[in-house]
Amino acid sequence: MQLRNFRIRDSLALRLIAGAALWSVIALVAGGIILSSIFRHSVETSFDARLEVLLGSLVATTDIDDRKQIVRTRDLNETRFDFAYSGWYWQIAPLAQRLALRSRSLFDQAIDLTGSARAARDVSGASFFDAMGPEDQHLRVVERRLMLPGYDVPVSFAVAADKAEMEGDIQKFNSTVFTAMAGLGLGILVALLIQVRFGLQPLDRVRRALATIRSGRATKLDGKFPAEIEPLAEEINSLLDSNREVLERARTHVGNLAHALKTPLSVLTNEARAHPDAFGDQVTRIAATMREQIDHHLARARVAASANVFGAHTAVGPVLVRLGRALQRIYAERGIEVVAESADGLGFRGEAQDLEEMAGNLLDNACKWAASRVELRAAPLSELRKGRPAFLITVEDDGPGVPEEKRAAVLKRGGRLDETKPGSGLGLSIVTEIAELYGGELRLAASELGGLRAELILPASSE
Amino acid sequence: MRLLVVEDDPDLNRQLVSALTDAGYVVDKANDGEEGHFLGETEPYDAVVLDLGLPGMDGVTVLEKWRRAGRNMPVLILTARDRWSDKVAGFDAGADDYVAKPFFMEEVLARLRALLRRATGHATSELECGPLRVDTRTSRVTVNGTAVKLTSLEYRLLEYLIHHQGRIISRTELVEHLYDQDFDRDSNTIEVFVGRLRRKLGKDMIETVRGLGYRLAAPENAA
Repeated sequence: MQLRNFRIRDSLALRLIAGAALWSVIALVAGGIILSSIFRHSVETSFDARLEVLLGSLVATTDIDDRKQIVRTRDLNETRFDFAYSGWYWQIAPLAQRLALRSRSLFDQAIDLTGSARAARDVSGASFFDAMGPEDQHLRVVERRLMLPGYDVPVSFAVAADKAEMEGDIQKFNSTVFTAMAGLGLGILVALLIQVRFGLQPLDRVRRALATIRSGRATKLDGKFPAEIEPLAEEINSLLDSNREVLERARTHVGNLAHALKTPLSVLTNEARAHPDAFGDQVTRIAATMREQIDHHLARARVAASANVFGAHTAVGPVLVRLGRALQRIYAERGIEVVAESADGLGFRGEAQDLEEMAGNLLDNACKWAASRVELRAAPLSELRKGRPAFLITVEDDGPGVPEEKRAAVLKRGGRLDETKPGSGLGLSIVTEIAELYGGELRLAASELGGLRAELILPASSE
Repeated sequence: MRLLVVEDDPDLNRQLVSALTDAGYVVDKANDGEEGHFLGETEPYDAVVLDLGLPGMDGVTVLEKWRRAGRNMPVLILTARDRWSDKVAGFDAGADDYVAKPFFMEEVLARLRALLRRATGHATSELECGPLRVDTRTSRVTVNGTAVKLTSLEYRLLEYLIHHQGRIISRTELVEHLYDQDFDRDSNTIEVFVGRLRRKLGKDMIETVRGLGYRLAAPENAA
């Protein structure tokens, strides 16, 4: 993975993970809320039921004595009613009269019954509501109004309890649910990562296979891919094949054309030279023009048939050594020594024919001008070029060299400084053009040997 | 010196044969790769002019087969394909030099002369043996600075001997290198020409080694 600031839509894995995570979080939160509210409801119902049971007991243990006073016949079996402000309270009060009786826990306070009027009553006539109690306690209250035998006014019976106890239970439950949901969410996320990674593995294989092709260690996508990716892999393979084929056809075509034109031109040239009259001269001149034109256009066609083919890789050392050997023989008559050295394991990210064309032209040019020695060297560049590894080929000769102000002219198409040496003036401009096709560059400088130093920078294939 | 020209274009083949014959070489010709390969493998040529773009068997294959079979005569390749990869393939196959088409005949002649000279270990186009000097570029022969006039067959014989000076050369070898394949090998023309050369150059220059052949050497070494 490249470390860049990419947005979610830049990565399939992120898309899948983010999408699934969003839905998981929503589902988990909703589930938690529903669970918590169901629990709250059941706790509240059972709390109310307990209060109602206590209220029943309160009513059952209350009576009217002979003096028409409300009295308790027995204590409720609940000690928390005896401690002051314990949170558990009861009170008995005839309607519209002073409070008659209350639990010891209420001490000197009374339960506020104003909420009773608004609260709904169940079938037994009990009403449930919330009220504030002593010491800011939040109370749950159940109240019932009854007519007691021998008493003129209805009597209100109320039992209340601090909701803190219930809330505590709910809180405990909620935190358990939260922990469980968080754990579940984490588990889902891990499963998701594993699934996405596993699911996208074939894509990663495609990426690695493409990198292998780019580095030149393979020529096609190998291996078995899932049904969804298989067509893509096949398309890439056939595209690579057709690329190579088209290029090969173009090259063969250029070669055939060269052969077809140049052989008869040789015949014509020599036939004309055998007749040293006006007609012969004219044919010789025309043949020379044709030769120039053919050289020019074939050179252009050769550049056109060069291409930065995806996945091409060439070992530099052997190519340079073979070229050096060939040039040594071509210039054997002038006794020029050609030294060709290359760093070990150097690779060119491109076609062997294009490397031969560039280095061959540079060497040929150097040999043409050299007095006795030409040195060809190749070494990797330490810094990256356009973000990719590169290497440098230098070709130096001990000839007259080219003055700095004239170097640009030499690199131009058809640029020749000396018309007396053989050559079409295309060599260096072709090198420049092919080099640029590969994102490389040709520079000229002065050599320590005394002549010209050509520096060719080309992309290296990563090992 | 006996040469082989392998070129499929009939016009160019004819021109090459005629120019090389005019320059004093004995020339055999072949029009395709198979015939060229056969001749090169069976006949003792001093040099070969080989076109790379041949029908049947291409020039690089022909050359590779020769070299594998141990035929190491100098080979000058002609090619219209001026990509470096094609040239390098030719040199890898064992070529000694190349001329790109279209070419002038003079270029082929100059390169052939140089190849022949280098093949026999001579650095310049002027070959020396004692008082005798032969300029292979101009076919000029002098003894102690005095020009000697030779017929073309006499010159061919002398050129072959001086290229291989110091070595004993059999009559058969001389016949093979001085005449084309149709020559009657039993005739005694070689003896006749050696006799004429001795008269023109001085009788000590060419030594007869009985039962083996002839040797060209400077007189003081000859004894």
